[in-house]
Amino acid sequence: MAELAIQRVGVRFQTPVVLASGPAGLGHELHGQLDFSRIGAITAKTLTPEPGQGNPQPRLVDCPSGALNSIGLENPGIEAFLQHDLGVLQSLDCVRILSLAATTESALAEMAEPGSALPGIDLLELNLSCPNAGNRIIGADPSAVASFTREVTKVASVPVLVKLPGDSGDFMAAAAAALENGAAGLTLINTLRGTRIDWTQGKPFLKRVYGGLCGPAILPIALARVYEAREAFPDALIVGTGGVVNLSGLLEMLMAGADLVGIGFGLMADPELPQRLAGELTDWLDVRGLDAVEQLIGLAHKGGFSVH
Amino acid sequence: MGDKNQIDQCATQHVGSRFFWNRAQLAYREVTARYAIVLLVGRNLPQGIRPGEFVLVRYTEDPCLPRAFSVLSSSREGIRLFVKTEGRVREKFSTSPLGTEFDVRGPYGTAYEDKVSMDRDYLLVGGGSGAAPLLYFHAAHPDRVAGTVYGFRTEDAQELLPESGLAIESLGAARADDEAHRVWKEGQGIIACGPEPMLRLLAQAYRGQPDIYVSLESRIGCGIGTCLGCSIETTRGMQRICTEGPLFSLEELPWLS
Repeated sequence: MAELAIQRVGVRFQTPVVLASGPAGLGHELHGQLDFSRIGAITAKTLTPEPGQGNPQPRLVDCPSGALNSIGLENPGIEAFLQHDLGVLQSLDCVRILSLAATTESALAEMAEPGSALPGIDLLELNLSCPNAGNRIIGADPSAVASFTREVTKVASVPVLVKLPGDSGDFMAAAAAALENGAAGLTLINTLRGTRIDWTQGKPFLKRVYGGLCGPAILPIALARVYEAREAFPDALIVGTGGVVNLSGLLEMLMAGADLVGIGFGLMADPELPQRLAGELTDWLDVRGLDAVEQLIGLAHKGGFSVH
Repeated sequence: MGDKNQIDQCATQHVGSRFFWNRAQLAYREVTARYAIVLLVGRNLPQGIRPGEFVLVRYTEDPCLPRAFSVLSSSREGIRLFVKTEGRVREKFSTSPLGTEFDVRGPYGTAYEDKVSMDRDYLLVGGGSGAAPLLYFHAAHPDRVAGTVYGFRTEDAQELLPESGLAIESLGAARADDEAHRVWKEGQGIIACGPEPMLRLLAQAYRGQPDIYVSLESRIGCGIGTCLGCSIETTRGMQRICTEGPLFSLEELPWLS
């Protein structure tokens, strides 16, 4: 049977399938419901220094091939998480990633230092790209990416991923800024800023007008970001996230250069999808006589399958 | 009722948790211009769904968010829904041939009987397809029901629910909230499910009374409490319509008016 496990930045991921931050909750919601032995990593819902109430309803709007979401980082805050939720997250049988967001470098570092020292927390993900909270997307500004990443990596005791937007600012400069300032890798991409108008009412569906587009509609954009990042940063850990809802999308993401593939919208619409994808990936590799998923990662940069 | 053997053959072998999709077939349908009653059957469909709980349904392979439906009844036979005929999944219910496959998962939400005080009598106030969970509650707990107002604009729902004493505006009935005002008596609770304007009018009229409950709607994302797409503000903090709801007491929703 083909090997799905990969080793990166000193961490062993038992499959390349990652539960993306947001629809994965804080861990306790999915505990006992999924087969975590088929999941590479769970990324907990983004935590902020203080509890966050999130955005008003509606928070979800249907779109062709996806949805707009405007959750707005609703979360219990880091302290309540540590008290009530950490234990179950630590017990899950896969790599555990804490996702953190804050509006200043020092506030982010203050969460990252103790957060990364917790037993059972294997990686941090800095969410510098939520389109639904505040007015500033830090990840759009390479100099801000540099300073936020630097302050966190100075104090973090586990590898740090930086989650970037796919649609704002100088993407390649932001990616370089993250990696040059100590990040071990990139999570590409967050949801894309979009809106929809309720034409029966003549106004936007969302109270904040804009939300984040997720789902199959954004797969080509996520693939492009992953592809160009892999080309420029051959050694970075890349978590390709955006629009993967089936095996073909997972394969495309790996071949574009993702080491790991995040499932967000797909998890929301179908909680069984991540573990099923791991099974389908094994079968696909076996049928083609491939030994390991490693053989697929970045394949599109290496001329594809050789002709026999 | 369709060919049962064929239905069994087509049912998936998969037995998952309530988090996982199960294949269902459209086995029976009654349809009018605006409403339909449909029966979904399938070997692994959830059973024993209680009044107020809901299921998510998607048209197979549709790459969109699923749709939430409170059930009209649930038995070994299958899951019966009472739905409007417009909308992405609902159109498929009303126009697809019998045997058409859908995916179903659930049940989700808190059953009415776990939310309301079961030592009080209730007036049930429904608007449109919001009548579905109330009809189910009435059938399950007739001794707890003091009266019913199922409001509809047009009479076509009458064909589907002939026994239910509908209040139909096109036949001279008042709006559901006015009808409720006419029949409600001091000391009765209310359980209401319907369009938000109707719930707001009821909130204005009955705020301060004990045991007034409204069933809220929103687009549901995951159904399992993780995505927070259906979170609303309550006096007990943010609550999820898919998990702590869909029924909330008026006291929990001071903003509803």
